[in-house]
Amino acid sequence: MFDPRSSLFTVAKRDISSLSREKTIVLAICIQLFIAGFSSFLVVGLTSLYDPSSVDSEERLELAVTGEDQEKLVGAAAETDGPQLFRYDDREDAIGAFDSGDVDAVVSVSRSSAGDGTRLRVEAVVPAEDLKTTLIVVRLRELLTALERLERTERGAQLEFTPVEVPSDDAGSSSYFGFTYTILLPLLLFLPPFISGSIVVDSITEEIERGTLELLRVSPVDLIDIVDGKALAMVLLAPVQALLWILLLRANDIAIDHVGTLLVLVTAVATITVVVGVVLGLVTGRRRQAQLLYSVLVILLFGATVLLPEHPARTVALLSADSATTTTFAHVGGFAVVALSLYAVVRRYVGRVDPESL
Amino acid sequence: MIEAQNLRKEYGDFVAVDGSTFSVQDGEVFGIIGPNGAGKTTTLKMLAGLVEPTAGEATVAGYDANDREMRTHLGFLPEESPLYEEMTPLSYLSFFADLYDVPDGVADRRIHETLDELELEHRERQLGDMSKGMKRKVAIARSLINDPAVLIYDEPASGLDPLTTNYIIEFTEQLAREGKTVVFSAHNLFHVESICDRVVIMNEGESVARGDLDELQAEYGETTYHVYTTVEVPGSVRENGRYRRVVESMDAVERTREAARQAGGSVVDIRTEESSLEEVFLNVADSRKRRRGG
Amino acid sequence: MTPRKLLRIAWWEVTRNAGGIDRRTLAVAFVILALFGLVTPLLLDGGVGLDDGLYRVGIDESSPYYPVVADDETFVVRPGADRADLRNGDVELLFEGATVQFRDNPKSLAAYGELRGTVERFNNEQLRLEENGTAAFPVSVLLEYRQRGGGGDSPRIEDDDAGDGGASDGTGPADDGEVDDAGPGDDPGSGDGEETDGTGDPTDGGGSGTGGTGDRGPSLGGDSGGGLGGISGPLSDDQVSGSPADISPPFPFQSLVLAFLFVIPLNFLIQAYGSTILSERINRRGELLLASPVSRFDIIGGKTLPYFLGGMALESVIAIGLFVVVHGELGGVVSLLAVAPLVLLFLGATFLGAMFARSFKELTFVTVTITVTLTSYAFVPAIFTDVGAVALISPLTLVVRDLQNEAITLGEFTFSTAPPLLCSGVFFGLGAGLYREEDMFDQRSLRGRLLDALVGPIPRAGGSSRLTARLDPYVALDLRTARQYVAVGGLTATLIPFVFVVQLLAIALLFALGEISLILVLVVVAIIEEIAKSLHVYASFQHRRFEPGLKTALALGVASGVGFFFAEKIALLAQLVGLPELAVGEAGLQGGIVPGPFALTVALFLLAPLVLHVVTAAISAVGASRGKRQYGIALCLAMLVHLAYNLTVVMAVV
Repeated sequence: MFDPRSSLFTVAKRDISSLSREKTIVLAICIQLFIAGFSSFLVVGLTSLYDPSSVDSEERLELAVTGEDQEKLVGAAAETDGPQLFRYDDREDAIGAFDSGDVDAVVSVSRSSAGDGTRLRVEAVVPAEDLKTTLIVVRLRELLTALERLERTERGAQLEFTPVEVPSDDAGSSSYFGFTYTILLPLLLFLPPFISGSIVVDSITEEIERGTLELLRVSPVDLIDIVDGKALAMVLLAPVQALLWILLLRANDIAIDHVGTLLVLVTAVATITVVVGVVLGLVTGRRRQAQLLYSVLVILLFGATVLLPEHPARTVALLSADSATTTTFAHVGGFAVVALSLYAVVRRYVGRVDPESL
Repeated sequence: MIEAQNLRKEYGDFVAVDGSTFSVQDGEVFGIIGPNGAGKTTTLKMLAGLVEPTAGEATVAGYDANDREMRTHLGFLPEESPLYEEMTPLSYLSFFADLYDVPDGVADRRIHETLDELELEHRERQLGDMSKGMKRKVAIARSLINDPAVLIYDEPASGLDPLTTNYIIEFTEQLAREGKTVVFSAHNLFHVESICDRVVIMNEGESVARGDLDELQAEYGETTYHVYTTVEVPGSVRENGRYRRVVESMDAVERTREAARQAGGSVVDIRTEESSLEEVFLNVADSRKRRRGG
Repeated sequence: MTPRKLLRIAWWEVTRNAGGIDRRTLAVAFVILALFGLVTPLLLDGGVGLDDGLYRVGIDESSPYYPVVADDETFVVRPGADRADLRNGDVELLFEGATVQFRDNPKSLAAYGELRGTVERFNNEQLRLEENGTAAFPVSVLLEYRQRGGGGDSPRIEDDDAGDGGASDGTGPADDGEVDDAGPGDDPGSGDGEETDGTGDPTDGGGSGTGGTGDRGPSLGGDSGGGLGGISGPLSDDQVSGSPADISPPFPFQSLVLAFLFVIPLNFLIQAYGSTILSERINRRGELLLASPVSRFDIIGGKTLPYFLGGMALESVIAIGLFVVVHGELGGVVSLLAVAPLVLLFLGATFLGAMFARSFKELTFVTVTITVTLTSYAFVPAIFTDVGAVALISPLTLVVRDLQNEAITLGEFTFSTAPPLLCSGVFFGLGAGLYREEDMFDQRSLRGRLLDALVGPIPRAGGSSRLTARLDPYVALDLRTARQYVAVGGLTATLIPFVFVVQLLAIALLFALGEISLILVLVVVAIIEEIAKSLHVYASFQHRRFEPGLKTALALGVASGVGFFFAEKIALLAQLVGLPELAVGEAGLQGGIVPGPFALTVALFLLAPLVLHVVTAAISAVGASRGKRQYGIALCLAMLVHLAYNLTVVMAVV
């Protein structure tokens, strides 16, 4: 469908070389790196806030225990390798120790009746606004979950359902696996198409606003060639960047499967965003309007993909993690078909645009 | 009305204008001429207060050129003046009228009068849809919106078709007749010759000559004499059965006459030719080059 | 500045597209956004399930784990898979009866980790169906956050009406579950007095938990993978209760997400704003405006005002809407005031960026950079709202606190909003320096423009700069010769807000890293401070504002160092008044307050830093006077000296 006339490639070449001359492509990659780094930081940082295993666990928690049923807690503490308990008879003393920083938290255990039975009522006091709070709460939760397990076992006779045993925790699994494949990789693969479309908008509206489109037109080139050239340059740029990301991830020992299919998907998505960009650029002719509409529209389109049986981000995840099904491949094929037909429609539209009207 | 004292502008290592000095009288039409890159535009922009001189100073209508008050007495027309294409001539002009503190009623009347004079129709059409000549007319109308005493026009007719060019030159002439002081630049010397009282010639950032056209003519212009003889004399060419020799002084004319007489012939015709501003300009540039070379 | 003309330009900026195209654009954008509004519930409700089908499990129906695995969409059941399939990587987990097998690769291990969480969730869900609620959830927890040493109540928390301030309000009716009753005790000091209320009954909590988002019923933490599972947080979380699985570290997740809403529209706003600024520069379009008797501040102000007001209007709608939804009442004034500097910061950065960019393409990248950088500036510190005072460097933290109905002191407000406000001022100032005929329309590189912008406020030798010339009537001394140096010192001082924000941001970003973070922060401090002290000095040498020479360079170093010192100390004093606890920490970082005799304190607090700043600034200034490479080398040297000094001080103090 691409017309291999040399003029098309001249335009494409001009656009790509102007990009590299402006060093914008370097900038683009830097920005993507930044976004990826930012999101990784966010998730890794948050995970470490939540995942006790990823937090430095050398330090033992020091808890003040009070209340009539503190024995139960001592029993639970023996189950976990965690905290050091200090018993206090009086809650006020324990709070005093907490206030002076001698213990990390105060835990009172008492029995209270609720409905048709009794519960162990645990009141925990933890420091507010302290960097250690996160760790303290996470450890406390481990301890109390152990306590809950023990209690449940004790009262097992009163339960119809026997809890399924939780597999032991010695596998050392990483909590980043899901993030890498379901968030980071889709982000990295879909950013280039988004930026490509945005650049096409700039590229077209800039020619219109500066009036340089007229100069291009006096050369023996059709408007359709110009658009083809610009679109081609930007569509091809996206999979190249995507490939770079994939190679980078692979260099970091993150296995990525179905690279070819992923690139097809990226190319198809880039074609769609570029088509959107071309149409908006030509229709509005003004960068301000076109860019605004472009970002809103692309976000909408991306949001609308929720309606698909398989979200594109999930498609990426399944492909790259080698869990792809027939549905997954069908989605890639679907995107390719949509992209090609949209492009054909847009070419026809461009063919009918009167260059004088721009 | 305008005094420029040793105006100098540097852009980094590049000296765009190197010590430009001239003055323009009230009601005068003053031309700044020179090739592209001579520093004409920079000079005009320094006068208009758009560019701050590296050294030297300029006063316009009694104000320092950098004084914002000066601008209310100035109409400035840059060489390229892309307008806000989404606006119509009327909205565009009344916007600028407001910025120049022209009262609404006065502005309305003035806008319509000026547009009438400029013969501009389609006052509610978007500027983006207009031809270059029409846009130029709107730009000129804008320069007159505050009824300024001084007009600074940078290449007012560049890039326009001959008809519009003529029209705009004539319009400028008319403005001068109405008592406005006009400074404009041109590389097309034809315009300057036709309407300028005085000119300054710029080349490579320097003002190389100034004066009224007669003075310049006397200093840099050449009168050439075409002496037609019946016989061949040294340096002559045959032309229509006669011989023509081109000389540059009356002495040479006398010598040619003598030579012809000795050869047994006679002088049948002498024609004088004065150089145009264009030639003056070339001579100035040439003499500077020679001086620098020597 | 003439307000009337500024307003005229603002009006023009709004109405010049009266031809209709902009209205059409707005209409289309509105329709698209409305459509998006239709999709959003789907996004929130169904959950996108990005990791659905990620792990394949070989399991037979006979296994006790079968219902567990079949219940979680993350897993795909592959009945009849055998060990060969496991070896080939066709399944990640293989159950043989009740035992599970997995391989030692990341995917298999991740599947195993996921399985553990799934089992816990499955158990809790099943137990919720039990008749005997107390046996199913035999432990109830009441978690109280308490300010250490501060008696019973924490000063930051204002919860006189906390009875209905519970988390669930955000999405459901305020009184649908017992969780609400149990949650916030009015009196954090005496929790035991309220046993009669009963603490949260997980059974009921679970019932409401499956339906909504953001509640804290036991179902929470169930449905997202990637280690983010447990994130939940009440909007006002001085106390949390529930079963042990429900308690989670303090994290104002919901408020944070809501606060994010304030940032999103800004990113659209700056796209349009950047375009309008850059289009003035294309084809010399803005030249005539410059030639008119209007100051450039009027032009810039006029072009910016509509976008600022538009942005604030959007933010007001968001603020009012959020407060009505979350608290059921009008409010959000503090949020709005806190967001205003952020709006200005976005606009200011975009303005400068649009003055730097040479083409729309470049502008796109500049805008994306601004979006990402400023969003992280606003967002990341706010994550730590409940953790440390450092979170206050982002005004978004104020929004989060406001949403949580917490009191905000004037000092905190100032601390949070002053730096972005000052930064935006500097952005606009530097950009305005470029808003001249000479700089607007040429195609110089980004680097060249940065230097141009920095050199703008520095007058030529003997020349007048409007800024410094204004000082003349007030100062008895003849300042003309000193003007250039005053300008250099003053510019250094102006850059302090940046230094300040970057440093605090570095602290916010790095402190999670533990021990090494202190060193890293010191490195960042050295780098940013030395750049701030020397870049404009380099620029003014490049632009020949000064003749190269050792004496001049040293004098410039002194000027810059002194300027930095004063501004830094003033900022610190201001903080000491407003936010003592944070300021003391900062002072320690600057090598300031050491217990000891008064003279020693003075020496260390004042003299040493002054000497340091002057010396390092002089080093880089000397380099700057000699050329690009020499500047680079000298700058590195200055940074090293600075770092060495900081390390020495910190070692001495710690």
